[in-house]
Amino acid sequence: MNLRLSTGPHFVSRESTQTLMLDVIIALIPTTAAGIYLFGTKAAWVLAAAVIAAVACEYIFQKLAKRPVRVTDLSAVVTGLLVGLNMPAEVPLWLPAIGSAIAILLVKELFGGIGHNFLNPALLARGILLASWPARMSVYFMPVRLLGNTSAIPAGVDAVSSATPLIRPGGYEIYDLLLGNIPGTIGEVCKIAILIGFLYMLFVGTIKWHIPVLFVGTVALITWITGGDVLKAVLSGGLLFGAVFMATDYVTNPMLFTGQVIFAIGCGVIVAVVRMTKAYPEGVTFAILLMNILTPLIDRMTSRKVYGTVKQHA
Amino acid sequence: MKFSFKGGIHPLKEQHEGKIPSREQAIKEFVAEKVLIPMDMHIGAPSEPCVKKGDKVLLGQVIATPVGKFGIPVHASVSGEVTGVVSFQQLGKKPSMCVEITSDGRDEWVELNPLGEVEAAPRERIIQQVKDAGICGLGGACFPTHIKMSPADNQKVDIVILNGAECETFLTADYRLMLEEPEHIVDGLRAIMRAMNVQKGIIAIEDNKKEAIRSMEQAVQGREGIRVVTLKTKYPQGGEKQLIESVTKRQVPSGGLPGDIGVAVFNVGTAAAIADAVIYGKPLVSRITTVTGCVRAPSNLRLRIGTSFQDAIDAAGGFSEEPGKVFAGGSMTGIAIPDTGVSVIKANNGIVVLNQKDAIKKPETSCIRCGRCIDACPIKLSPQRLNVLVDQADLSGAKKQHVMDCIVCGSCSYVCPAKIELCAKFKEAKEKITARRI
Amino acid sequence: MHEKKHSLRGVFVNGILNENPIFRLVLGVCPTLASTTSATNGLGMGLAATFVLLGSNVVISLLRNIIPDKVRIPAFIVVISTFVTIIQMLIQAFVPALYDALGLFIPLIVVNCIILARAEAFAAKYSVLFSAADGLGMGLGFTGALILIGSIREMIGSGTIFGNALFGASFEPMLLVTMAPGGFIVFGLILGIINTVTERVSKRKGAQAS
Repeated sequence: MNLRLSTGPHFVSRESTQTLMLDVIIALIPTTAAGIYLFGTKAAWVLAAAVIAAVACEYIFQKLAKRPVRVTDLSAVVTGLLVGLNMPAEVPLWLPAIGSAIAILLVKELFGGIGHNFLNPALLARGILLASWPARMSVYFMPVRLLGNTSAIPAGVDAVSSATPLIRPGGYEIYDLLLGNIPGTIGEVCKIAILIGFLYMLFVGTIKWHIPVLFVGTVALITWITGGDVLKAVLSGGLLFGAVFMATDYVTNPMLFTGQVIFAIGCGVIVAVVRMTKAYPEGVTFAILLMNILTPLIDRMTSRKVYGTVKQHA
Repeated sequence: MKFSFKGGIHPLKEQHEGKIPSREQAIKEFVAEKVLIPMDMHIGAPSEPCVKKGDKVLLGQVIATPVGKFGIPVHASVSGEVTGVVSFQQLGKKPSMCVEITSDGRDEWVELNPLGEVEAAPRERIIQQVKDAGICGLGGACFPTHIKMSPADNQKVDIVILNGAECETFLTADYRLMLEEPEHIVDGLRAIMRAMNVQKGIIAIEDNKKEAIRSMEQAVQGREGIRVVTLKTKYPQGGEKQLIESVTKRQVPSGGLPGDIGVAVFNVGTAAAIADAVIYGKPLVSRITTVTGCVRAPSNLRLRIGTSFQDAIDAAGGFSEEPGKVFAGGSMTGIAIPDTGVSVIKANNGIVVLNQKDAIKKPETSCIRCGRCIDACPIKLSPQRLNVLVDQADLSGAKKQHVMDCIVCGSCSYVCPAKIELCAKFKEAKEKITARRI
Repeated sequence: MHEKKHSLRGVFVNGILNENPIFRLVLGVCPTLASTTSATNGLGMGLAATFVLLGSNVVISLLRNIIPDKVRIPAFIVVISTFVTIIQMLIQAFVPALYDALGLFIPLIVVNCIILARAEAFAAKYSVLFSAADGLGMGLGFTGALILIGSIREMIGSGTIFGNALFGASFEPMLLVTMAPGGFIVFGLILGIINTVTERVSKRKGAQAS
């Protein structure tokens, strides 16, 4: 009789890093499917390039650096998928591949691997790509196929680049904004798909409601106060995609509820200000990255009252 | 109305906390042929044996005398002959001095000194009777009960709470006791209240034990000052600090004791043992233990103190398949045993057998800062932050972050998706901080 | 006084390898990032700094027993700025393109940490010959590092090397690399690689020795 001597607890939750990542991937399926339908096979290739590059980079780096190979925890797949979904469909395949390499190698592995990055990997990769190849990253076309019953016109064979809803506010119908019949990155256009993913993650407990809701809510509130069209503002650009999939990344947001509230509101304020001053067409990337940088400070400023340290009435 | 506390988890929720195999099993007596009784079952200095090899002893006879302020006597749990006073490696860090008794099959009681009915007994005598009976907390800590019943002068206790929560997974011993011997428990509570001069007594039970709640409510009918309170089922509701917070809304001060806020908590099994001692003069010689898991007949056995784990498992039908791990207690805080020769001690409320497959643990990976541990902690600590500090060997930093307030319940380890052994790390950190006086 | 350094050759090589000012001492990083936008600029800055380093080391070493200790820093700065002024005028006259490219960073050579550090740590204590060797070694080490970083940044960020196109017209350079953030990242990565390689080599040497 050979009895194992291990420390308790002897039964633990069946959740693991892998199951959490798998739930995020499942939540991204509607967005991925909508993106491929709208933008065609080009989009599928971009996503494939991003995911394959991400997994390959992680595997090769972990082997070379003699660290345990952890590609099976699916975090590289999630990073790759997010990098790909943040690209326009009309990009050469080396661009998402380089983006994934930057996200995995520079932002994650060089800092210590999963759990140690101080910025959102997919978002910083997108930022670097934006600064390095601005022409490639800012050219958006109308989708080649459209969803639903719409009067919008899909991109033809001789398509020219179009203005995104943020550059041409008021130029797109709410219906089209919701379904994704607008120019933009592969993942950000179809808001309904994003919402389905959000509800799935809430249901299985991957994320909690407050960061996306407060982020978007703050933007909505400031837009309303300054007299803008709230619904169009919320549905334009990468706000919904960023709020649901990027701002909720565990590693780079604060640990406590109060910290997360500060984080979400901060993101919302920055996005609203950037959009109002038109410094950039899109402020979501920078808002989340800036708040990521502030996260250690927020963590240091927030704390809970430990049991037994609460002042009692005599 | 149901009471509860903040934080906590629901371990093994789909399998009803693993309690289904043993819930409906009525308490069964089992008398072992041989017992090996350790001298250090309680918190405090080990007791001094006062018998030697060859002595004939009766059931309930004192075989070891108390040592020091926290000492309690140890009694023979079978009648027969002392076949050895030996050193044996039980579950402690060092081997324990143990008295081995071989039963003569007669189960003859020594002369008993009952105090009779609770109301008839003088207050001071009750506490002395509890000490003489060798009673310590049967819920798992085994703190000498007579000391708990004699709080310091600056501690004015006004509520006594009986812990019927039994929040740990797999355990059903207290549940069966509340179903089958409710009057006994209430008698014990009355004795405690009389001895401590307390007017309010509360029996707190989790709501997954509905029949037990009914049973205890019936038993407290007409008893002045005593009532039954229902708790929401959540782990670790049965932890002393969480129990007090749920029932009284008071918090035990950090580094302090329940007595500081006027509360005393006792396990329902301890209360029944007190009733035995006061009313019948019987010392503590047995306790109810749930033997479950991969055994052929999961049961709630009334075992004699010192029974070997192997005998207990055999009494529950023996192993149903090749065992992979056996632990004493529930799955959250239970201690894995190296072999089945160790003894059932006063605080042993469960023996659980796991097969080879369930005994395997997933390997540890990196923390992903998901925050589930922070949500789970019933003391509102930040296990994530403590994990970083302990990994950096920053024990004074960990102490500043209140690691000493950790109740080692295991909730954080349970929920961690990266399978980090948080609870074990904090337990070790606490021991190091105490040892090095940081 | 002469215990640490053994030979002229040792001192010279020290400035290029063991105590390379950019990769080992990590001094003078500011002009490094600014002037490594191309290999040519890096070469120009490096040679200018070497001229100043050599000149100031020699002069300060000659004057080392004369300069009072309390005013040594201002005295060093005067010597250094003299040489900087000379090289600035020379560059402005003979290589105006480089003068425009480096701009403010030429006069900023005065406060380049490398030059002041070597003046303080070496030239003020050792003889002229040794100081010259140190100045030359440090300067060449600096130049080598600038050319390395500058080449990489120019290749990735502009697709050229020393002004000559490397790849075909279809190459799309990574613009960020010629900007300040890219400079930091490239510098950091190169430093990391050098550190890793040096560590592994010394580990292997240590393992062989034991």
